[in-house]
Amino acid sequence: METVLVVDDEQGILEALADLLREEGYRVLTASHGREALERMSELRPDLVLTDWMMPVLDGPALIDRIRAEPSWAGVSLLGMSAVDVGPLRAHYPGIPFLQKPFDIPALMKQVRKALDGKRAASG
Amino acid sequence: MSPSEQAPRQDARVTTGVPGLDGVLGGGLVTSGVYIVVGEPGAGKTLFANQLCYHQGRGGARCLYVTLLAESHARMLANMRDMAFFDSALLPESVYYVSGFRTLEEQGLPGLLELLRREVRNHNTSILVLDGLVQAQEAAGSSRDFKKFIHELQVSASLSRFTALMLTSSNGPTVHPEYTMVDGILELRERTLGVRSWRELQVRKFRGGATLSGVHTFRISNDGLEVFPRLEARMRRTQPPDPGSERVHFGIPSLDALFPGGLAKGSTSLMLGPPGSGKTLMGSSLLAEGLRRGEQCLYMGFYESPERLLHKVAAAGMDLGEAVKEGRMHILWQPPAESILDILADQLLSAVRKHQVTRVFVDGLSAMSQAAPDSARMSSFFAALTQELRLSCATTIFSLETPRLFGPALDVPLEVGPSAVAENLFFLRHVELEGRLRRLLTIFKLRDTEYDPSIREFRISRQGIEVLPPFAVALDTLLTGLARHRSGGHP
Repeated sequence: METVLVVDDEQGILEALADLLREEGYRVLTASHGREALERMSELRPDLVLTDWMMPVLDGPALIDRIRAEPSWAGVSLLGMSAVDVGPLRAHYPGIPFLQKPFDIPALMKQVRKALDGKRAASG
Repeated sequence: MSPSEQAPRQDARVTTGVPGLDGVLGGGLVTSGVYIVVGEPGAGKTLFANQLCYHQGRGGARCLYVTLLAESHARMLANMRDMAFFDSALLPESVYYVSGFRTLEEQGLPGLLELLRREVRNHNTSILVLDGLVQAQEAAGSSRDFKKFIHELQVSASLSRFTALMLTSSNGPTVHPEYTMVDGILELRERTLGVRSWRELQVRKFRGGATLSGVHTFRISNDGLEVFPRLEARMRRTQPPDPGSERVHFGIPSLDALFPGGLAKGSTSLMLGPPGSGKTLMGSSLLAEGLRRGEQCLYMGFYESPERLLHKVAAAGMDLGEAVKEGRMHILWQPPAESILDILADQLLSAVRKHQVTRVFVDGLSAMSQAAPDSARMSSFFAALTQELRLSCATTIFSLETPRLFGPALDVPLEVGPSAVAENLFFLRHVELEGRLRRLLTIFKLRDTEYDPSIREFRISRQGIEVLPPFAVALDTLLTGLARHRSGGHP
């Protein structure tokens, strides 16, 4: 079972995404900001981190920098999401796919599967 | 001395970006102040706070928008995208959205306060919005805890030099005792009367400077909020310039002969009369004469479209169309639907100032009064409007429709205010005499000038308006519209 860590400060969105991904058969971890996400990751290494961009305590860009700086987390897939225009974010972080909020369930699942497939292909 | 006791700096104001509001607040919010914006759901609080953030963000400020149990950030931004003030380029560096709800749920007010302080520091914030204060209030264990939260936020605002807006729905009394510590309270509300609704803003409290008192109208459009300060509150209290010997005429020889001294420049006249009695043409003739003299003139009307008006006055020998094309004659046309009094006043006075208008004809004071949900306000509003027009040296006529076509009663459909405020009072009437419907004119009052008080018949033709000599025989009760010869026979 693949593990997805969902990081979002908006509790309603966090819970909705967690429920959806669990129904799709993923193991789901949740965190409401970047620092909490790092704590979860130190307990269990996820296959994918789905993270919001604007968050308190530690935001999306800072979380991604910290994940990339940790060798043991190399190979963890990253998927960003934001209510701000993700066009400039894609340009700034070319290696990371982004979901533009608000998004629908098919778009979410497509991006999650794509990110995890890419990881499997890279490791296989 | 606590931060709330320190005198706010008079020179440091945070402009809101809401047209008209900074004027109400005496320049804007006071820097490092903590403000509450209260209003029912849908009153415009979130829109207001966003408008302020994007305005400040454009000026280089960093704004932090913290939501509690509010709509999602994605939905909020989707609603803002259609607004003229929205600029996606300001996200996320200048306007940053975070949710504090989970922290509030898990750690209560102390945790929320810690989050606010930390995020303000992290983002170098100068504007903090807390959307959903009612959630914080409900999470507080006691009224004392909530007061402590506000006090500590004020301390932080003072130390870190940020200005805070806390948005809350009016759950219970509009102004809670716990709110007494904040630097200002702005209330937004929507009022309804019958099927009509309008929006109002009131500054319930403001530390650090004078504000415009009372209730001000605002509207919401794709430009965001726009406040129209109550005319009576912003009226200049200076004395109008002395017109001296400058007099104004209608340019109709037979009419001007009734008061050879003319109207005082900058004076206000009321022209009363039933529908069809000639008010529009009489008032327009004052403008036509102004145009002949090279003056800038303005017509504000409610019933006839500009095209119909120009056609109507042309049929009475007045060509105003050329002056419209040349930009000397200005027409403000407002269909008499659901107008808002202060918006009408703003349109009128802005146009007068912009074009340096010296002659104004407002054709339909009754339509204007229909824009006032509170009819008792009309007298003070009219006094303020005419004061502003006098200060602009604009000679103004207001036409006012009387409801009765004929009959013994003389109805003035407004309080005594306007007729007392106006320096000059003209009365037009229909009368049936010798089997013909005639138009009558009489002057009730002309301040500071001699006038002929006799009742005169006037005629309108393609050549214009002509006031006829006095009636050859004495007639009683002409003004009632039911004329009789004293002998009971015909003249």
